Amino acid sequence: MQLDRTIAPPYRIIQTIHFPDFNTIYLDNGLPLHVINIGEQPVVRLECIFEAGTWFEKQPGASYFAIKMLTEGTSATTSVGISAAFDRVGAFTDLSHSPDRVGIVVYCLARFLPEVLPLVQELIATASFPDKEWEDLRNITLQNLRVNQQKNSFLATVQLRASLFGKEHPYGRSQSEERITNLKKEEAQAHYAQYMQRNGYRIVLSGQVGEAEIQVVNKYLGQAVDLTLDQSEAVPPAFPAAIEPALVEKPESLQSSIRYGKRLFTRKHPDYYQLLVANELLGGYFGSRLMKNIREEKGLTYGISSSVVTYRHEGYFTIGTDVKKEFTQQTLDEIRKEIQILQTEPVGAEELQNVKNFMAGEFAGSLNTAFDIADRQKILLLEGLPADFFEQYVRQIHATSPEDILRMFNTYLQPDDMTEVVVGGK
Amino acid sequence: MIRYEEFVLDNGLRVYVHEDHSTPMAAVNLVYNVGSRDEDESRTGFAHLFEHLMFGGSRHIPSYDEPVQKVGGENNAFTSPDITNYYLTLPAENLETALWLESDRMLSLSFDPKVLEVQRKVVIEEFKQRYLNQPYGDLWLKLRPLAYQVHPYRWATIGKDISHIEEATLDDVQAFFFRFYRPNNAVLVVAGAVRLEQVKELVTKWFGSIPAGVPYERSLPREPRQTQARFLETSAQVPLDGLLKAYHMPGRFEEGFFAADLLSDILGRGKSSRLYRHFLKEKPLFNSISASITSSLDPGLLLIRGFLNPGVTLEEADAAVNELLADMAQHGATDEEVEKVKNQSEATLAFSEVELLNRAMNLAFAANAGNAAWVNEDDEKIRRVDAAAIQAAAREVLRPENASTLYYRAEAKATV
Repeated sequence: MQLDRTIAPPYRIIQTIHFPDFNTIYLDNGLPLHVINIGEQPVVRLECIFEAGTWFEKQPGASYFAIKMLTEGTSATTSVGISAAFDRVGAFTDLSHSPDRVGIVVYCLARFLPEVLPLVQELIATASFPDKEWEDLRNITLQNLRVNQQKNSFLATVQLRASLFGKEHPYGRSQSEERITNLKKEEAQAHYAQYMQRNGYRIVLSGQVGEAEIQVVNKYLGQAVDLTLDQSEAVPPAFPAAIEPALVEKPESLQSSIRYGKRLFTRKHPDYYQLLVANELLGGYFGSRLMKNIREEKGLTYGISSSVVTYRHEGYFTIGTDVKKEFTQQTLDEIRKEIQILQTEPVGAEELQNVKNFMAGEFAGSLNTAFDIADRQKILLLEGLPADFFEQYVRQIHATSPEDILRMFNTYLQPDDMTEVVVGGK
Repeated sequence: MIRYEEFVLDNGLRVYVHEDHSTPMAAVNLVYNVGSRDEDESRTGFAHLFEHLMFGGSRHIPSYDEPVQKVGGENNAFTSPDITNYYLTLPAENLETALWLESDRMLSLSFDPKVLEVQRKVVIEEFKQRYLNQPYGDLWLKLRPLAYQVHPYRWATIGKDISHIEEATLDDVQAFFFRFYRPNNAVLVVAGAVRLEQVKELVTKWFGSIPAGVPYERSLPREPRQTQARFLETSAQVPLDGLLKAYHMPGRFEEGFFAADLLSDILGRGKSSRLYRHFLKEKPLFNSISASITSSLDPGLLLIRGFLNPGVTLEEADAAVNELLADMAQHGATDEEVEKVKNQSEATLAFSEVELLNRAMNLAFAANAGNAAWVNEDDEKIRRVDAAAIQAAAREVLRPENASTLYYRAEAKATV
């Protein structure tokens, strides 16, 4: 029989996903250890996550420097000694920082966990903030900031967050030369002492994790006492939100970086899933309305995208793109136009179906490894979301109707409520 | 350890199946045995241009990306001096969509002149963006012809001269396609929640009727042993002076590869490496310095790359690096250093096999290079390397006459 290659084979859409659960164990001192045991490779990822991000700072910048100084020296081991000790067993470390929390992550062969853990415990309990390393870190941070400040896209994102939340708000503030220079070592050290050294934290261990690995975690991280295990939330500060448009002129730039955004809500909001579908349709993937119009048809940009950003206490929606300066106003007009179309004309059934298929497939594909699954499970734990949150994800996406999409654009994404930021020129 | 089974179609397409039922996904990796090393010297950049053309529609299917998104999949591709590689992941139930799409573009591209015109522009823009408008972007364009004098690794994947892309005709494109993009010049890997029998049936259905091509016999000139140090100086408006030193070393699956690989790790991988400790901590000549290797199939390069602190001269920095390398060749590595880099390599290898798609790629690359079983032999080869082998590698690879040194000077900014 002749094969008809013009006809696509039948396909199925992902309707449900299987989502392995955490196994939670409490160490001798009460610290929670969350375990995801999956995979055939003899590797593990250890994460210690502290509720110690920008949100908790008394001085701007303290949390960033507190976590980055963790591997720069302890009372017993020098900075060079620490990197040598991790390198010796082939372990990789990463120090993460976000507005809500900070963390130390170690990737290693499972058999070296007994050698890595005492070192991790030593860093958490006895980081000593040596002067020379403090100066070095500050200089490197300043240098990196100066390089970033040359980039319009970096400045635009900084400006958008400041415009949406206010530039003193933990979600609105950013590094500045002044803040870095003014920060005293003792202030970063105090942040470390209060929120990391003496505070309880969560441990997430994923990969090939057996009983032996759990016991060795308990042996080293489960013994420190006098930790505050109270994870109660700090009271959210009240800051006025600004919505004035901002234009930062850069006469020497050839391009403008555009941000367009609005303060929205967290993952707990009942309209969260529908908003995700609306966002995907507008600018969330390669075939989105904004990409088709502004890149594929008009060629104004290499890329344009929209996204939904969620923190623990707040969230926002943003559209971002870089365009040749002379196209700035035209691009802004087209963005408005695309939103207005989605406010008035129901999306076609096929387009909506494609977006849902893509989102469901992408989600299923993002759960391939123990580390992927731990990353998703962590969100549930840290944000206090219901256990079936991600099972709901696929179901809720498929349940979203063209009427829901209209409602999203008319309720949350009206162009007149958006804050517009342009770095470059109009 | 990557388990796999294999079969060959009558038209010569080699197929490998790696079953993993812990995921709902499938990964499909199709590697064509053609890279920039296979190009004619007067028509370079074709392998890479082709990678772009492959997304411009095939004989029966106008768009490649859209059907992939529709079934919940994601796809991409890359070109190297050795191979051109296409890959996608999608829900395993929709495997047939991937095979339908890949088989149609192996059967024949659309050869639409408009697609050639658009992609030609895109590639030229890519050339400008990545190689001309980036600080140090032309570094490889300068270094390759210095280190290689006869082997086609002397031009970059993007092409030797952008005029070759500007002048490409549809006839050139068709000839290239039917020479290299044939089933008997490709390896297909299907991995994930799939069954061997199902893969056999579907692959035979979609790929079985594609005609085989004339077998491609590669006969590239072997780069002769370098017996005299080479030197080049260039300058551009960049933030810092750069020092680059390239040394010839064995190819990815050749004898001695891992000894040279581990040697490069001892020299310049991470903060406890020799170059970092000596030149950032003890005697701060450099702002950053590292060593790496190209891992190419034909003999490759061990590369040392550093950017100087202001006030340090290139001559001074170069002399200090040469002294460190001579010491390495003379005294070899310590047992602790060898143990460290072997642990690091073992960990890197194990982590690289966590992702399904990476396993599919590694399997495809080994099979394409000559033997699928090689995919599971790296571990053992790394374990067998000892301090003596590393010192032997240092003596051979780090010979001063094996070096190609490039001074990349920072020009003072023109004052207005």
